[in-house]
Amino acid sequence: MITAPRRISPLQDLMQAHQPSWGLAGNMQYAQAVPGEEARIARLGLADLSHRPRFGVKGPQAANWLAAQGIATPAQPNSWLPLDTDSFVARLGLTEFLIEGAAADPLHANIEPARPGVYPVPREDAEIALLGPQVNELLLQTCNVNFRALDLAARPVVLTSMAGVTVTILPGSHHNDPFYHVWCDYTFGAYLWRTLLEISTGLGGGPIGAALCPEQPQPS
Amino acid sequence: MKRLPPQTGEWIDRSREVSFSFEGRRYTAFAGDTVSSALWAAGVRVLGRSFKYHRPRGVLSLANHDINAMMQAGPMLNLRADVTPLEHGMALEGINTYGGIARDRGRLLDRLSPFLPVGFYYKAFHNKRLFPLWEKMFRRMTGLGKLDLAAPHIRTAKRYDFCDVLVVGGGPAGLSAALAAAERGCDVVVVDEHPHLGGSGLYRLGGDTDAAQDIRRLVGQVMGYPNIRVKTATLAAGYYADHWIPLVKHDHLAKMRAGAVIVATGSYEQPAVFRNNDLPGVMLASAAQRLIHRYAVRPMRSAVVLSANREGYLAALDLLAAGVRVLAVADLRANAVEADLRDALLARGVALLPGHCLYEALPNDAGDGVGAVLVCPLDSDGTPRAEQINRFDCDGVVMSVGYAPAANLLYQAGGRMRFDAALQQFVPGQLPAGVFACGEVNGVFMPANKQLDGQRAGLAAAAFLGRAAPPAISVPPEAASPSHPWPIVAHPKGKNFVDLDEDIQLKDFHHAIQEGFDNIELMKRYTTVGMGPSQGKHSNMNALRILARATQQSPEQVGTTTARPFVHPVPMSHLAGRGFTPQRLTPLHARHAALNAQFMPAGPWLRPEYYRRGDSDRLACIQEEVAAVRNGVGIIDVGTLGKLELRGPDAAEFLERVYISRYANLKVGMTRYAVMCDETGVVVDDGVVARLGEEHFYFTTTTSGATNIYRELSRLNTEWRLDCGLTNLTGARAAVNLAGPRSREVLARLTDLDLSAAAFPYLGVRQASVAGIPAILMRVGFVGEWGYEIHVPASYGPALWDALTEAGRAFGIRPFGVEAQRQLRLEKGHIIIGQDTDGLTTPFDANLGWAVKLDKPFFIGQRTLRIHAERAPKQQLVGFTLDSAHNATPPKECHLIIHAGEIAGRVTSIGWSTALGRHVGLAYVIHDLAWEGAHINIRLSNGSLVSATVCKTPFYDPENLRQKEAA
Repeated sequence: MITAPRRISPLQDLMQAHQPSWGLAGNMQYAQAVPGEEARIARLGLADLSHRPRFGVKGPQAANWLAAQGIATPAQPNSWLPLDTDSFVARLGLTEFLIEGAAADPLHANIEPARPGVYPVPREDAEIALLGPQVNELLLQTCNVNFRALDLAARPVVLTSMAGVTVTILPGSHHNDPFYHVWCDYTFGAYLWRTLLEISTGLGGGPIGAALCPEQPQPS
Repeated sequence: MKRLPPQTGEWIDRSREVSFSFEGRRYTAFAGDTVSSALWAAGVRVLGRSFKYHRPRGVLSLANHDINAMMQAGPMLNLRADVTPLEHGMALEGINTYGGIARDRGRLLDRLSPFLPVGFYYKAFHNKRLFPLWEKMFRRMTGLGKLDLAAPHIRTAKRYDFCDVLVVGGGPAGLSAALAAAERGCDVVVVDEHPHLGGSGLYRLGGDTDAAQDIRRLVGQVMGYPNIRVKTATLAAGYYADHWIPLVKHDHLAKMRAGAVIVATGSYEQPAVFRNNDLPGVMLASAAQRLIHRYAVRPMRSAVVLSANREGYLAALDLLAAGVRVLAVADLRANAVEADLRDALLARGVALLPGHCLYEALPNDAGDGVGAVLVCPLDSDGTPRAEQINRFDCDGVVMSVGYAPAANLLYQAGGRMRFDAALQQFVPGQLPAGVFACGEVNGVFMPANKQLDGQRAGLAAAAFLGRAAPPAISVPPEAASPSHPWPIVAHPKGKNFVDLDEDIQLKDFHHAIQEGFDNIELMKRYTTVGMGPSQGKHSNMNALRILARATQQSPEQVGTTTARPFVHPVPMSHLAGRGFTPQRLTPLHARHAALNAQFMPAGPWLRPEYYRRGDSDRLACIQEEVAAVRNGVGIIDVGTLGKLELRGPDAAEFLERVYISRYANLKVGMTRYAVMCDETGVVVDDGVVARLGEEHFYFTTTTSGATNIYRELSRLNTEWRLDCGLTNLTGARAAVNLAGPRSREVLARLTDLDLSAAAFPYLGVRQASVAGIPAILMRVGFVGEWGYEIHVPASYGPALWDALTEAGRAFGIRPFGVEAQRQLRLEKGHIIIGQDTDGLTTPFDANLGWAVKLDKPFFIGQRTLRIHAERAPKQQLVGFTLDSAHNATPPKECHLIIHAGEIAGRVTSIGWSTALGRHVGLAYVIHDLAWEGAHINIRLSNGSLVSATVCKTPFYDPENLRQKEAA
């Protein structure tokens, strides 16, 4: 008898070392809480959010198709909009979108059959959340974008390189501290996590559980 | 020497004593001292030995503008003692000595100096026979600190930073500039290499500590200003394009990107040139003032001041205030204009000697410092009247004869400097957009004018950024030149040093010019002036004046040498720093590690080369893996392959244009080998194209080509404007190849898909569930056995692997690595792009002519391949085998094929074939040898030849029976 296969986060083996308490979402085990996380979050916390529901779509008709699904898309490329309480949609270019949160789930089924100008983009990302007052220092050590100059009220999304890896970054805040989402290719996830963790540890931070991260970023 | 009573604003913390040792003797000083200030306060006069003649050296600039005091502390070598903060427990030693600083046996070289003239090194090397001797000797004699290869590796952080306006230099001008820009709303960063702001405004006081009040207020304003960030003890080490400045701090390097840059770096005070001007106790006025006001150290007991400017008189007053007995002020100028200061000095009993020079400093009895100085008048043409010498017994000389702008950053930014004859200084002529200069580097020396000039620069920077109107500030010119045009005194006995780094005397320059090295760049290289660790900060200006006078040119005509980063030395640890080397791991990496995989790099990936088992060696493990695939079932991670998806009405058309074969006629549910060429018809990539629907393709690329191919196809898709969308799934999908005669049985346990040859033929593609995971399955035969390439979402990769290995346990399934795969594919004659092809290989060369469809309307490389198709290829990829009895060293990849004494090809792949019981390989050979049965000779690394026979490929299963069901 075949049991339901389990999805594996690209960071699971690395999180294991921190002896987390595990949760299960989207058929993927994730680190819900990590011992000592409360102290770290006062400086800088790194969480694995790879388990979160995610859907990608692109193509000249992608925006129209999303609108038909009840999802309003940002007017400007490289910006994002909140959806329901736990979801948001990011516009990654002229015609590419990322939806994360519960709103992503029904889209997987609705995308088939194929429609002209609407192309699904399977999102098997490694997703790392950065949370805490030292986030900017971590970014300064790994990324050459001036995040301090961004207007968070405009809900920017930044496609750039971090520690040599192509990433998408959604800068936001949580309780007046920076709260950033970082997405990268699944296969670069372990490298990026190790690199960020090493620097974060030097800054007094470290791994935290996903439960400390809000479902939705705040723009200011 | 003596520690003075507390000075207003001193940098030392008298509540914290620091103990350290120097050359084996223990000392105590205070936190905040530099190594040099601590030693000078302790009465140590000889801080180092000179590079060439091993002459004793003390404090000269106390600012890292000379290298009199370079030291070693454990593994830390070439520490600049002038600016290195003293640390508790430091064990310091001098460098470049034979037996320590005090008893340096190398001082004998000072007596041999007549035999070591300028250009000695170059001339010595002219004799080829003696070259090795000199080389050995010079290598032993030169070099400074000792490198300890066992020193711990420091991983220094690198970081980025950003600001609107970067102000380099925290002196009066820089501080004023920062405030002016900040008041206009700019985000300002001020960097200063010292631990405190204020610059010369806090030590050039003329004996009046109240004179610093204004600057202290300015410092307070800057420190408290909300949009000014202050970074002290931070060096702006260079300038790169687009206002990119590396900022070096002791524990990290920051790459600062600024909207505008204000260079307020001040100037380097220049020494006077006279005999024995390098004796300990001879120092620049600014050095003496820094010792007094920053470190509360009396620089000497009694002194003669050599001046040529207002600053020299201020220094004399500072010395007096510090309790130094100032015997005289010798002024190179006949008519000094500083009447107020002269009166103050006369009132203190100081002899004022206008139109006088310092002819010679005499060593004390111990030979470790100044014992007296000889002063004499100057003729109207500047010649010393040696017959009218006055002797002053003193232990110190303070020089204030001029400045050179600290303009390194301006030069590096592409600024043009001009020589201002009135100032006797190079000043900015034309600066690049967004780069501004103020203060002494801009030729402004009067304290009030510096602040005005700073305001002007700050407003100009704000205006450049659109935050203010252009400033309408006019800075008054200097009342008198702060720099003397000829602070140089000839002496028949020499030892009047122009470059203290390299022990270059005045006569050395004259000799160089006589020998024809009469332009600044040639003279620099011949004399090595400015090529020492100070990079000419204290020597270039005087060298330039000497050359200008000798060649009867103006300093501007002589010009300056090129200023390159870095301004000061930057530790290698900062440059190496923390490196980022992105590494990709497939979703199955942990599974491989658990199976004892021996990993090998493949571009950014780590892939299992083979799996170690028990005591078996590498070769045995690989052969076992090969055997498992040939006889049972094996599984390999092929997730590193590039994986692309193409959807849309024009998807087939896109592939028709990209690949050399035809895909419009590919049936849904089938795959086809795909070769990609560039415009010149050279093979650049290969893979498999699978048609999942009429408008839906899924295709693979090579591991190494994935990123570039996706980038190029995206570009082409944009350019061609076809109605299709391309998606890169390389990292989003895991993939394995389940291969071997038992593979179907293994897979059958995990899927409901009909796996019969009729339902799922060779080269077919299906979408089905495997172990409950949605998968794309391709029946391909890269390794020459019945098999399935199974692609699933990356997060399901481990579950798929677990299910397959569990299902295959009963069949003896074995994971196999890259090395086994290479052997298996070689037996099948399949090529690897990049190994069996190179940057000139066409499909015709590589026996892929069958794939080229020249009758298509268009594909990339088609036009070139049409030309190639009409010619016989110059070389051809062929298979070859060694004799089965060959048991000596086999050839290796890249070994050459020799025919009639000429190179006739090369081996691209070779390996042992278990199936054939002999070595098999692929090689490019000339057309004459590209026929079955031809004998070729392969030359090994040792020059011997190995005979091989050209044969058909595939070597294994030429009829492809392994892909067919048994009847």
